Amino acid sequence: MLKTLIRRELLDNLMTFRFAAVLLITLLLVVANTAVLIQDYEQRLESYNDAVKMHQQDLRNSKTYSTAHLFVDRAPNPLSIFNVGLDKRLGNLIGIYHGFMPTLWDAQMHGTDNPFIAFFSSIDIVFVFEVILSLMGLIFAYDAIAGERERGTLRLVLAQPIGRGQILLAKYISAMACLLVPLILSLLFALLLLTRSMPLSTADFLRIAGIVLTSFAYLSLFYLIGLLISVATRRTGTALMLAMFIWGLLILVYPNLIRATVNPGGDIQARVKTAHNQIQQILDEYERERQKFLEKEGIAEEMSEFSKALGFYHQADVDPVTLTTYIESISVLSEIRPDFEKYIPVAKRYYNFVEPLATRTVEKAWRIRKQALDEIYVKQATTDRILLKLSPVGIYDAATQAWAGTDLSGLRDFFDASRRYRKIIIDYLYAKDAFASREWFVADKGTVDWRTLPQFTFQRSDVGINAKRALPDLFLLLLINLIFFTIIFLIFVRSEV
Amino acid sequence: MVWHITKREIYDNLNSLRFALTTVLLLALMVTNAVRHLREHPKRVQRYQDAVTESLNRLTAHADENLYKLAQYGPGNFYKKPSPLHFCANGGEPLLPDMVEVEEPNVFATDSEDNILLQGVWSLSYPDANLQNKSVGPDVSQVDWIFIIGYVLSLLALLFTFDTFSGERERGTLRLMLANSVPRHTVLIGKFLGGLLSISIPFTLAVLVNLLLISTSSDVHLTTEAWGRLGIIFCLALLYTSLFLALGLLVSTRVQRSAVSLMLLLLTWVTFVVFMPSTLASIASSFSPTKSFDEFWKQRNPVQEDLWDKYREWLWSDELDDETLRGKSDFYTEHVERSERWREGQLKYRSSQMHRARAITSISPATLLQHLIESFAGTGFERHLQFVGNTQHYARQLREFIVDTDRGDPESLHIINVREGMSQKPVSPAAVPKFEDTFDLNEDFNTRAMELLLLTLFVVVLLAGAYLAFVRVEV
Repeated sequence: MLKTLIRRELLDNLMTFRFAAVLLITLLLVVANTAVLIQDYEQRLESYNDAVKMHQQDLRNSKTYSTAHLFVDRAPNPLSIFNVGLDKRLGNLIGIYHGFMPTLWDAQMHGTDNPFIAFFSSIDIVFVFEVILSLMGLIFAYDAIAGERERGTLRLVLAQPIGRGQILLAKYISAMACLLVPLILSLLFALLLLTRSMPLSTADFLRIAGIVLTSFAYLSLFYLIGLLISVATRRTGTALMLAMFIWGLLILVYPNLIRATVNPGGDIQARVKTAHNQIQQILDEYERERQKFLEKEGIAEEMSEFSKALGFYHQADVDPVTLTTYIESISVLSEIRPDFEKYIPVAKRYYNFVEPLATRTVEKAWRIRKQALDEIYVKQATTDRILLKLSPVGIYDAATQAWAGTDLSGLRDFFDASRRYRKIIIDYLYAKDAFASREWFVADKGTVDWRTLPQFTFQRSDVGINAKRALPDLFLLLLINLIFFTIIFLIFVRSEV
Repeated sequence: MVWHITKREIYDNLNSLRFALTTVLLLALMVTNAVRHLREHPKRVQRYQDAVTESLNRLTAHADENLYKLAQYGPGNFYKKPSPLHFCANGGEPLLPDMVEVEEPNVFATDSEDNILLQGVWSLSYPDANLQNKSVGPDVSQVDWIFIIGYVLSLLALLFTFDTFSGERERGTLRLMLANSVPRHTVLIGKFLGGLLSISIPFTLAVLVNLLLISTSSDVHLTTEAWGRLGIIFCLALLYTSLFLALGLLVSTRVQRSAVSLMLLLLTWVTFVVFMPSTLASIASSFSPTKSFDEFWKQRNPVQEDLWDKYREWLWSDELDDETLRGKSDFYTEHVERSERWREGQLKYRSSQMHRARAITSISPATLLQHLIESFAGTGFERHLQFVGNTQHYARQLREFIVDTDRGDPESLHIINVREGMSQKPVSPAAVPKFEDTFDLNEDFNTRAMELLLLTLFVVVLLAGAYLAFVRVEV
């Protein structure tokens, strides 16, 4: 019996104008946007490759350790085509040196030709789905029950020995089968375009499968919302009107309203200030120890002479907004005048003392900064995200970002890797005894050999981790689906026909 | 007769669910908008005033010292005056720079004791769009009038008209009405006006509440001129709504069932309002040849080596004779002119790209509305270009003032931009022209008029289409 019902519903849905219209629009939008997005991705990739090449060149050109420009670049994520998330918004280039802890707040952008173009917001495939799938779900559902009630066919069906639950199930299954057609078909076209221009790994396909699964749960949820409206109202006109208002509210109004009403906490300024003071104290202590060393060596009075001899440039500072802490001491001389040669031993001792001290100081400051950044930036963003999840759009967006790896955790992976790389570089410098070497500050007797320097590599987290990040939201979507289905069932069972 | 039909339509709507929902929705949005504006605008104005005061202090300090110092260091940075109508259109605020920088004079050469040998003069530089976003929160747009009118009101307009004719046809009342001796165009106009008026009621209400909230606050002052511009924006909103009402009528006349009509309308709306602007802009921006990272950095600093060659014989001379000083003066002036011209060229290249993208996206009425409201509210990219133009105008004015003042000093050699060649007397700060960022509505009205005409054209075409369709349709 269920089979008959499903077949009836399926034919009913497939042969309609709305099915054709929805299919056409979805295909058109997804394909057009994918083509644009691929081009954008390729451009970013080219920019990345150029930057990597340039940074390698820069490094080879640096002759001393202290003037080395070591940068790591973040490659664009190919899955940003599905959900761009933070991939384009956050910086993709960061310096690595021992006197500085790289975080995503310090990263720079690769140059773009025209930054003003960023005014036009970019669209990703998930955004197209967010808008179109929800609309589709509601359009297919609003008259499922109310329409039959109006036409009087509902009585006819219920006169048969079929459970009411079965009717609902049949409607649900057949509608979902129909709705899957545009979703799958448009994704196939998108994938066709994608695989032609960029190589996707098996892991990427698994991630895309996760995105499809989430899209399915999202679509199903909107179908159920429509069905609930349909069960609860008498007339299709009312059902349609309500469905459209709810759609406008959930998709259009709520996500934009939430940002407008959330008030960024007033104590943020104070929090930044405290952290700033704490870090400043750490830096002051560093400065005291440095002075103490200079006095011990007996060159505190001759500091200006000493500095000039070494082409010495020293700076330690903390940014009052982003709390970026850095200690930079570089030597900009290409050769040392013979009469300054007497300073060489003390300079070696100086750098061998100060650079490890700077490393430790920055690491100490980092512990404070990390906590402050979490409280200032991350907490606010997390609250916003949770509030956004009151609309299914928020959950869907968060889950697909996690699958694509363009969410906050995905991007933090990169910066965690860059911090690990910094550690590796420091270990390498110790192993080479670089701090106490002449090549640290002057290149007149041999330049640094960069060939043995460890290379930076970054692999996006594997699918398992992506899944772990996405599954809570996916389960939430499924749970809401289940709750809605139960409510609909309860209302339908009790309602008079 | 028209009025009769209109009245019936309005009464019909007033009692409906959609009317109630619309009122609540629009009120909620407009109140949010007003509250947010009241919370943020004073801060914005305060920031602007602080920055302007600081710039003015710098100018005064230089003028107090002497004319040469003023000529060398110029004024402080220029800041864009925040528009009081910021709540109508935020105009891409966090992205757009709000200042034009006055660069410190270049130091070309120093001796071994760090004494400056050659130092140029100030120049204008235009900051790029601010892409460096520290926020890691979700990416959502702000609720300004553009959003409320462009997205929400247009969607509501469709919800008000999708069943105008198909609904009556379904209920059978259309035949009844047409059986009377009413010409069909009268019916159409009546329906159109009815729809427009019934959606105007909640919208006007919401706008009034919004403006009431904003005008009662002591922090935000709206001038008569601002109120006039608000009136224009309100009329624009009605014109834009008419477009979607006409679209709704057109589809509703041709389609038998109201559900199909709404679906068609929604798909059209989604395509033209939500997707078209961004997709077309991306396509448009990919037309222009892109520069790679390397190229981009390379051309940041234009090569000025030929200038050094040209003035070599005077630059390294310590002589204080007329010819040497003139040589140095010419070098400084030409150097500044060149860098400013190069930066302006960059800006022009970028804005022409932006204009191309804008022209292409104008197919979407939502973009047209956005540009129009932005230009009347005095925000957005065009306003930014106007601000840049203002600063350039002022820079010329200040440079002329310096030359004129120098001419008035008999002790000076009248060789501009060189210390030894210029007046060493302090200038009265009151006499120095002050920068004022004015917003001129009349400037470049052509584009705006074109956009306005285009929007009107859309409305007229759709209404004419609805008329033709309705006259020929069988009931």
